[in-house]
Formats: sequence, structure tokens, C-alpha cells
Amino acid sequence: MTSTSNKSARRLPGVTRRTFTGSAIAAAAVAGVAPFNIVRGQAAALKVGVILPKSGPQAFFGQSCQRGIDIAPALLAEMGYNVKLDVTSVDFETNVDLARSRAEKLVNDGAHVLIGPFDSGAAGAIAQVAEQKGVPFMINIAAAPQITEQGYKYVFRNFPTAPMLIGNGLSLMKEFFKATGATPKTAVFMHVNDTFGQASARGVEALFPRLEMPFKILETISYDPAARDLSVEVAKAKASGAEMVMLVSRLNDSILLVREMVKQRFEPMGIISPGSPGMYEEQFFTTLGKFSEYCVTNVPWYNPKSEIAQKVAGAFRKQFPNDRLIGHIFNVGFSFESMMIVADAYQRAKSTNGQALAEALRATKIDKRVMIGGAIQFNEKGQATTIASAALQNRNLEPKVVLPAEAQELKPVFPVPGWNNRG
Amino acid sequence: MSGPRRAAPGGRARVLLGLLLALLMLLPFVVNPYLLSVLTLILYLAYVGQAWNVMMGFAGQLSLGHSLYVGLGAYVSAALFVHYGVPPALGFLAAILVALVFGAAIGFLAFRFGVSGVYFALLTIAFAEFTRIGFDHFDWVGGSGGFFLKVAQRDYNDLVNLRGSPEMFYYLLLAMTAGCFLLCHRLMQSRIGFYWLAIREDQEAAQAVGIDVFRYKMLAVMLSAALASLAGVFTAFFNNNLFPFQIFGIEKSIEIILGPIIGGLGTLFGPILGAFVLTVLAEGLRGTMEALGVVLPGVKQVFYGICLLFVIMFLPHGIWPSLRRRLGLDSDGRR
Repeated sequence: MTSTSNKSARRLPGVTRRTFTGSAIAAAAVAGVAPFNIVRGQAAALKVGVILPKSGPQAFFGQSCQRGIDIAPALLAEMGYNVKLDVTSVDFETNVDLARSRAEKLVNDGAHVLIGPFDSGAAGAIAQVAEQKGVPFMINIAAAPQITEQGYKYVFRNFPTAPMLIGNGLSLMKEFFKATGATPKTAVFMHVNDTFGQASARGVEALFPRLEMPFKILETISYDPAARDLSVEVAKAKASGAEMVMLVSRLNDSILLVREMVKQRFEPMGIISPGSPGMYEEQFFTTLGKFSEYCVTNVPWYNPKSEIAQKVAGAFRKQFPNDRLIGHIFNVGFSFESMMIVADAYQRAKSTNGQALAEALRATKIDKRVMIGGAIQFNEKGQATTIASAALQNRNLEPKVVLPAEAQELKPVFPVPGWNNRG
Repeated sequence: MSGPRRAAPGGRARVLLGLLLALLMLLPFVVNPYLLSVLTLILYLAYVGQAWNVMMGFAGQLSLGHSLYVGLGAYVSAALFVHYGVPPALGFLAAILVALVFGAAIGFLAFRFGVSGVYFALLTIAFAEFTRIGFDHFDWVGGSGGFFLKVAQRDYNDLVNLRGSPEMFYYLLLAMTAGCFLLCHRLMQSRIGFYWLAIREDQEAAQAVGIDVFRYKMLAVMLSAALASLAGVFTAFFNNNLFPFQIFGIEKSIEIILGPIIGGLGTLFGPILGAFVLTVLAEGLRGTMEALGVVLPGVKQVFYGICLLFVIMFLPHGIWPSLRRRLGLDSDGRR
């Protein structure tokens, strides 16, 4: 071996025995200090690639999520996370094909972990890139259950699946009735017939018997999301004689529906949504005023009593003084938590290596969180299982948490006062 | 003299096309995975744009609902694979068949009952929309909750089941685009191509000289539908998840038609050039903005709008016809 090396050294122009020996010593020295590179690696910044739909049909939600990402680095440092986060955010324009390409670009540019994307289709596309490249992918918001059923090793989701959302929403209804001591015997189920509404309706249909709900659905009424007039639907609902309205809506139709109920003097025990947008949104309050009061929506929500949630709220108000927290907290909360989970994993992994980060993510246990629920933990599929829903009741023109008890801001009211006795 | 002069541009075109194909075949060896994904996107838009071009560019029938055929191809092949284990190498035949049936239905309704122009375009949108709504409620393929294909990490490329690396998908799409280009070239040199052009330019005159207008318009619609459905098969197995609002949406249809319009409607190379120009400019613009630290979501859409305005105002026939003249490739005016 030695003779071969010497021959090789002799053959190379300009390489003498002295320079060869010097190089060998230098190489040995580099090899000797190599373990210190690991130490240096720990101090390196974790490159976080964020993929969100900041333009296109989902632009509002993507930009809302971005606010949660923006407040994270400074707030996490303030909370004691001793990690450097180098965040690069990209827009996938609400286009699944671009989501995949953006993920490739981020990984190519050196992202150690990916976060996003507020869309199940995009999440499915990004997950494939993450899995192929061995880069952990933390899903902030996307509900399709199949994403975490693919056997992926690098995909984690801190958001409930669609069946979990509806299941939590329906279960919370039972608790709501128990807490108020009033249980309706019958209900009319009204839902918007768009993609989301149909999916929710199917979820309700499947889970309703299994959860042994205390009331009977007398009639199911679906309606167009672009309807200008819901008088017929409300008349049908009133004629059914149901004691409660269970509603899966969007914003505009929920406003139309309540207006029509007021007009037709349809005064059920209450309007409760098992989990849909509309009734807790800013526009609902500004348009309906006192008639927006007492409507109930069961959704994942931030815990106003949690110390971290209060810090997030404070940071949000400071960084975005012109935005109302209530309109963004759902997206901000989950997006911030994604950053927190990633920072926590990096702190424990002490490495930017994908496999080490994935293992650290799998071992996540964060007790103090922003959203309502148990400690942040993932099952073997990478799915968070402890996210709960809150019952939000509109009070004083704001959604207030009335359940669960540990996050309660106000006591729930049910049956609700008549239309003319509000405000 | 006129013979050799006419042959020269054709020969030059063939050489340039050969060089382009060779370059596209070599690119995966030198580009990074991100650029490969951008190239795949370009080829996808070029292919599906070419499919649309058959109907609008060659036969003059405006479809604003071409996502219908892409979506049908995607769902049919994916459903056969997931529920019955039929590989896409066979499933694509069923995808084509279903797209043909839908294309034939639209064509028959429109051409038999004299629906044309903007009303025909509305009919195509209507079909795409009600199919989307139908699939929203079609639980067998996941309904609005989405249809997911099982993703398998494999060490080898399985072309039969379309499971493999991004390079495999790139080469498959390259083959599809090249095949589609050659097919369209042959068609445009054939009697069918000349009939389509006659119908596009003046339907009544074409009918007056004995062209079976109904038959050839049906042929254009069905061929276009069949080609577009193959893009759907690719999409299904590349993305591994399908959502009705994403695959049948009007945005998808608009995305399909932008390339051919910008590149050059009714030309063979226009859809390819249009897809390339739009994608590269969009990515370049985004990269430049990123490098400058400017965060302006939606700037690409504004840019697309400006591009369209520019093309409509200064290059009403698209980029390729004028570029073709500059390159001295203007032999028959249709390449």
C-alpha cells in the first residue's frame, strides 16, 4: 500500500514527499476535529420552508396562516426556544401542481423542514416530495384523513381529520346540553350543498347514530351557497316543528338564514353548528348586529386562558395592529403551533438531518399549547390526536368560548332568548 | 427554384425540432429536482394545450371546459387502479373511452342542434361544472373529500403502474408531448386537417363544397377529448390525489388554454412555446421578486393578464407565427 501511494505521489507533478506528508497531517487534523462539526451544526439555523396559498381562491387563508408564521421566530425566542429559524415562505397560488414544484424548490434551496399548506390536495402533493427527499413535513391545516394513512415517515399533521372535526363537534353538543340542562328532542339539519357542506353532511350522517345523539333529526334541508333567498328553506324548517337548528354553513348563507328566521319569527331553542365557518366571522356580527347573538359553533379554537395563546394574541396585535385577531386566530393558532413543534423538535434533535428531525417530531410532547386540546403528540402515523373543539357562543358581538370548562370565557346560554329579547 | 426554397424551411424545422428533443432528453441529467419539476409542468401544459388546440386551433370550436376530459381521465384510471387493481397502462383505454363518450355527447348536442360560438363554449363549461358537482357527490371516488391513491416508495420505475421517480414521469410526459405533436402534424398534413381548417375559416363554405361538417367537428372534439384524458391519467398518478373542485374547476380550463393562445392558436409549436414562455416567465418573475425581497402574492396572475393584453395587442396570432418568420421556418404557414 505504501509503495503504491508513494508511486502515485511521485507521478503527480508538484507533489513531493514533504507536501504529501503535510497534506496527510492536514487531512488527519480535519478528520480529528470532524466531531466538532456536529457541534457547529447544532448552532446552525434550521431552514424552514413554508408553502401557503397566498394568491388564488384560498388567498385570504394563506395570508392569514402567514401571520402565524411571521410572529413565530421572535415569540419562540422569547418563550425560551434556543434555536435559530431561517424561514422562507412561498405561494403555491392555490394550485396543486405548483405546490409540488414549490416544495421541490424549497428542498433544493436547502430547507430542512416544510410547513403548510392549508389544503389537502396540496398537502398530498408536498408529502410525496418530503418523503422522497427525507425532509420532514409539518401540516398546519388540512383535514383529508388519507394524508396520514399512506405510511409516510416524514409527514406530521397538527390538525384534526375531517371525521375527527365532525365527531368532536357532535360530542361537544351533548356536553353543551348537559352544561345548560336543556336538551332539544328534535332538530332540523340545514346545510349548504357545496363541497364542504356535502362532506360535513356525510360526516354527520355517519357519526350521528354512533354517537347516540340525544335528539332526532326530523328533516335535512340543503341549499345553494349562492342562494339570494332562503325563505322557502326556512319555512320548511319552521314547518318541521324542530326544536333546534343544526347548521353547516358559509358566511353569506348563514347571514341570509338568520335574517329569514327573524322575518318568519322562527324561534328555535338555538342554532348550533357542528363545525363550519360563518357564524363566528366578523361580517356575521357587523351585518346582523344583535341577531348574531347566541349562535353556537363547535370548532377547533385557541384557548384564551392559555399563557401561550395570550402571548400569541399579544404578538399578533403588536405586529398586525390593523387586523382583528378573532378573524385570524384559527389559522394563526395552528400555523404558530407548527412552527413551535418544529422548533421544539430541532432543539431536541440538535441536528438539521431529516431523519433526526423526524424522530424528534415523532417523540414530540408539548404540554402548553395555543389551541384547545391535550398535549401536542403524534401517533405512529404522524397524526396529532389530542386536538379538541370549542363551543363558541356569540356574546356581545364576539365569539366566546363557553366549553370546554378549562377554556371557558362565559357560561353557555340555552335555550337562547327570542329575537326581540337580544342585545 | 420554388421547390428547393419551399423544402429548406421544413428541413431546418426538422433539425431544430430534433435538437430540441435531444436537449429535452438530456436535461434531466443536468438539472436539479426543482428545475425538473418545472420542466414537467411545462410539458404538461404543452401537452394538454396541444390537445385543446386540436379542437379550437384546428377546427375552430371553442372549449372553455376542457378540464372535464382531464378530470374524467384522471378519475377513471385512478378508480380502476384503486378499486380493481387495473394498472394505468390498461386503465388509460377506459379513460379514453369515457372521455370519448362525453366528447361525443357534447359534440352531438351542440352540432346536431346548431349550438355554436359562445353558446358552444358555455355548453362545455356547463358539462365541466355539472360533472364536478356530480363527482362532489360520488362517494365511490371519495366525493368532495378527495380520492387518494396509495403512494408506494419504490427503488425502481414501474411504467405499467406509473409508480416511480420524477424522471420517469418527465420522460413519459415528453414521449406523450412528442407523440401528440407528431399526430397533430400528420393530421394537419392529411385531408382531415384541411377539412378542419376549412370548417374553422368558413363553416358554410366548407359545407357548400361537400365537407361533412358534423362528422369532422365531432372528430375534432372526440380526438381532443381523448388526448386530454391522457393528461388526466398522468395527473392522477403523478399527484396521487384528486379533488373535484381542483381538477374540474374553471381555473384548470383557463390554465389549459393560456399556453396555446400565447404561443399561437392553430399552430403546432404554439402550445409548446406558450407553455414554456408562461411557465419560465412566471418562475423567473417569482425568483426575481424573491431575490429582491419583494413579497407580493398574486403578482403572477397580474403578469399573466399583462402578457395576454400584450399578445392580443401586438401579436394577435401569438408568439410562434412571428418567431417562425424570423427563424425562416415559414414554409406552409401552419407549423
